[in-house]
Amino acid sequence: MRALIFVVALSFVALSGAPAMAQEGHPVKGSWIGTWANNKLLGNDVLVIMSWDGKAITGMINPGTDDIPFKTATLDPDKWTIRIEADAKTKAGVVTYVIEGKLENLAMHNRSIVGTWKSSQGSGAFTIQRQ
Amino acid sequence: MKLRIMGVATVALLAVFMGTSGLAHHSVAAKFDESKSATLNGIVTLVDWRNPHAHVYVNVRGQKGDWVNWAIELASPIDLEESGWERESLVPGDAVTVVGYPARNGSRQVWSNTLTMSRTGRQVYNVKPMAPPVPLAKRPTPTWPNGQPRLGSLPGGVQGYWAFPSSTVLVEKDAKVDIRPDGLLRNIADAPKVAPMQPWALSVYRNRQARFLQDDPGFLNCKPPGGPRQFQQPYGVQFVEDQERQRVFVLVGSGNRNYWIIYLDGRSHVGQVGGDDDNPLYYGRAVAKWAGNTLEVDHRGFNEDFWFTNGGVPHTDQLRLVERFTRTDFDTLQYDVTVTDPGAFTRPWSTGWTLRWVGGAELPAHFCQDNRP
Repeated sequence: MRALIFVVALSFVALSGAPAMAQEGHPVKGSWIGTWANNKLLGNDVLVIMSWDGKAITGMINPGTDDIPFKTATLDPDKWTIRIEADAKTKAGVVTYVIEGKLENLAMHNRSIVGTWKSSQGSGAFTIQRQ
Repeated sequence: MKLRIMGVATVALLAVFMGTSGLAHHSVAAKFDESKSATLNGIVTLVDWRNPHAHVYVNVRGQKGDWVNWAIELASPIDLEESGWERESLVPGDAVTVVGYPARNGSRQVWSNTLTMSRTGRQVYNVKPMAPPVPLAKRPTPTWPNGQPRLGSLPGGVQGYWAFPSSTVLVEKDAKVDIRPDGLLRNIADAPKVAPMQPWALSVYRNRQARFLQDDPGFLNCKPPGGPRQFQQPYGVQFVEDQERQRVFVLVGSGNRNYWIIYLDGRSHVGQVGGDDDNPLYYGRAVAKWAGNTLEVDHRGFNEDFWFTNGGVPHTDQLRLVERFTRTDFDTLQYDVTVTDPGAFTRPWSTGWTLRWVGGAELPAHFCQDNRP
């Protein structure tokens, strides 16, 4: 079921997004697609939506019926590192995910965040690319 | 091939004084390394007379005796023609010497500072910035029958537009910033003085500056110069006032003949045009009213897909501009803007400059459709 939701969400993003748009505002704002390796609970593929209201980064992981809203997200603009915390409601109960990464290719519209994820259920590499 | 590359800061300084950076639709430094000089001797194979930049292609003898083709980038045909040049000023087969800046990426491209015909020793395709003549005496501001100043053309269809801004860079008023006309800081330590940027915006701005503005979407993708930037561009803006319909059309000379509308009929920003309620736009959504002799424009609804300054100061879709247009005399337009964007700045900030009336002329036909080669 989770895989089906992911495919539907991915298709929605692919169909609705049209071509990748330049994004010259806050660098994390937008839709991101990638992988969190070895995530046996939620699968390898991951979608992240992020926004910026002028004070805080908001967002969610895997938007849909099982979305995981951000609890906190902080960006260090001197190092371009980002830390995201989000609580997922799973069959195993609430699982807190901590993602730490670095923005790469900042100047490009299809910039990346590369780092790691970890939770009580495991850990692994985390890579997403802005669409 | 005769190619000499040497570090010469004086060449870069010369270019600044010559104003080449101010004329180009992008910062020359974005693509070419102004700290180096390249000299090419070769034979013209093609003159490509197209905006945004004309190019001359030259065959240069390679080290192995073979012919290697180089692209020589020039100013726009508009500027070249203003300076008296035409496509046929050079023809294939002419022998030339080019002195300029080599491309940063190592490709066979040179920005031409001087292009000399070997046979005659005559320089060709050199450009001098030309401002309209200053009137001997100030002429009064033209007005409509109701007394409102005319921002655009005169009765009887005499055309004209506004250009030659007194500043081509967007910097907070009274800030002491050492900045080139193309928006590049001469001292990166001045970055925080440019505008009251939030930490993320300041860091993005520094990154863009460190990359010589090469990521400017106006350069890379011909994105429109929305916001205040359109009033600092080389090819000006034209106001077409429709008093009956209570709106002003703003035609953007450096923006692929884009236009946007200032509504004075009391409508709001949202839902200005049926079917297109509130999509953020490159030129935003503008409503205005007259305050004395000044048109006050409340301008919102910008997207985040362009740079609103040539120096790369970021903005977000929370950007709001209050723009004031005052035709202080016949030949002078005062433009003042207050920038508010809680997504990118810590407080509102203001700046302003003047533009000159270019009478008896239509906007130049400048199209930035691609960025050859």
